[in-house]
Amino acid sequence: MSKSLKQKLVAYALVLPAFLVVMLTVAYPIISAVIQSFQDEETGAFTWDNYLYFFTEPAQQQNILYTLYVVIMTVIIAIVVAYLLALYLRFVHSGFAKSIGTLYLLPRFVPAMCAVYAMITIIRDSGLINRIGALFGVDIQLGLMYHANGLILMNLWFNIPFAALMITAGLGAIPDSIIEGARDVGAGKIKTFTSMILPLSLKDVVIAATFVFMSNVGSFTTPYLMGGNSPKMLGIALFDQFNKYLAYNRSAALSVIMFLICSVSAGVYIYTNLKEKDWE
Amino acid sequence: MFKMLNPKRFYHAVGKRKFLEFILFAVFILFFYGPILNMLMLAFANEYTAPNILPQEWGFKWWEYVFSQDSLVSSIVQSFIVAIITTVVSMIFCIPAAYSIARFKYRGRKLFMLSFLLTNAFPKLGIYTSIAVLFYKYNLMGTYTGVIIIHMINSMMFMVWLPASAFSAVHRQQEEAARDVGAGPIRTFFKVTLPMAVPGIAVATLYTFLGSMEEAQGTMLVGMAKVQTMPVAMYGIVLDSSAVQIGAVFAILLIIPSAVLIFAMRKYIGPNAIAGGFKMK
Repeated sequence: MSKSLKQKLVAYALVLPAFLVVMLTVAYPIISAVIQSFQDEETGAFTWDNYLYFFTEPAQQQNILYTLYVVIMTVIIAIVVAYLLALYLRFVHSGFAKSIGTLYLLPRFVPAMCAVYAMITIIRDSGLINRIGALFGVDIQLGLMYHANGLILMNLWFNIPFAALMITAGLGAIPDSIIEGARDVGAGKIKTFTSMILPLSLKDVVIAATFVFMSNVGSFTTPYLMGGNSPKMLGIALFDQFNKYLAYNRSAALSVIMFLICSVSAGVYIYTNLKEKDWE
Repeated sequence: MFKMLNPKRFYHAVGKRKFLEFILFAVFILFFYGPILNMLMLAFANEYTAPNILPQEWGFKWWEYVFSQDSLVSSIVQSFIVAIITTVVSMIFCIPAAYSIARFKYRGRKLFMLSFLLTNAFPKLGIYTSIAVLFYKYNLMGTYTGVIIIHMINSMMFMVWLPASAFSAVHRQQEEAARDVGAGPIRTFFKVTLPMAVPGIAVATLYTFLGSMEEAQGTMLVGMAKVQTMPVAMYGIVLDSSAVQIGAVFAILLIIPSAVLIFAMRKYIGPNAIAGGFKMK
């Protein structure tokens, strides 16, 4: 057996078990969900009804729009704030910057549920902020619980550190010499930023944005604990379809709809990742 | 000293730049750590009625309550069993795959790598519900095996991508040097490549373990109340909310494993190590 063939066999032998696990536990269920989503609940015949239900029923339309609103707001605010934070961490070398540089890693490791619960203890009607207001004789009703703004606030708690981390890693890869070079030839602060720093870090911004987008479309814990009853985030709507109404075909259709929403950003992600390198 | 408490004086004493940085830092801490610190306080509050900001009475009353509930204690045990098995099994599957992707060139390499993105691209709950339909067929609902499969799916992307980026950061020359002095391929891997990739693998393992400890939606769906991990029990507690303190105590119990592990692995955890799990190299 030639050496390169042997190497190839080893390579495939190492990668295939994990690949098969993904195919069996992820790809296969996804495919069967797609098939199921086109089947009638009782007869199993081909139908578009499962999809039509989500686009024609007013409550379900509301859910889709509501989810998009929450997710897009989250992405925009998280990315802008994270970018500013990342710039600060990259270019300011003070004690405060160093402390933030360590402390912003931790929220990623706090279990989601604990973070949501902790936030609830602050913003609920008898929460900390209301109690502090009472101390000064003001009745502060934030109205964040069971409201889209509360969900966005919580999503920001999760996603700003994550996005800042991704962008910081990207900014860290830009050598000081490039920036100094731009300065030397007379570029001002803004010019250096728009012509050097922004383009060089754009890829990481896109990666961060896609992951923020994808992870929030199907988010469950935050809306389950903090969200209202109507409109609902799609994750909760899906859980209801499956667990409450036992409508498996409809829930399959809703999964596919959510997947299609995500795949827009997954497409962008794959495109940015593979732009420089061809498929090997 | 107390002069500094006057914002104006503070502003003039430290200068505009420091002042702004201080504000930024304060907002950062209040937003990201305020809620958690508040919860920490609540866990030790025997009495806490509105409108008091600080508890009227401190103590361990609610800790005793949580540990006297058999169902809560058993959920702690189940959480650890599931998390440990998940971590070990997913290491066995994923680390060889990561090595293969990082070290060998072959047709379809990128495709294999992208396949792990699937676990993050399709909405998790969508995957869980589709799997649940299959699990019903094969009697895996409400079993440990079912729950562990769900937990593994969650972390496979990190478990492959992070170690892969760690392996590919090890210079080939170092491996070749080991081979030159007579080490076989397996020995080279365990003596040279693996130790140098340990930071990446450590972060991936940490992710897998903590991800499994906190996974709730899939466990709730597939575990069907027969396998009840801490987060699933926590859903019940939060929605019941008979007393905030129970939730606070339980949340602290959930955070402890993360805190311990992060402290133990603090030198490996950095922006670059974590970011590596989200990029394909």
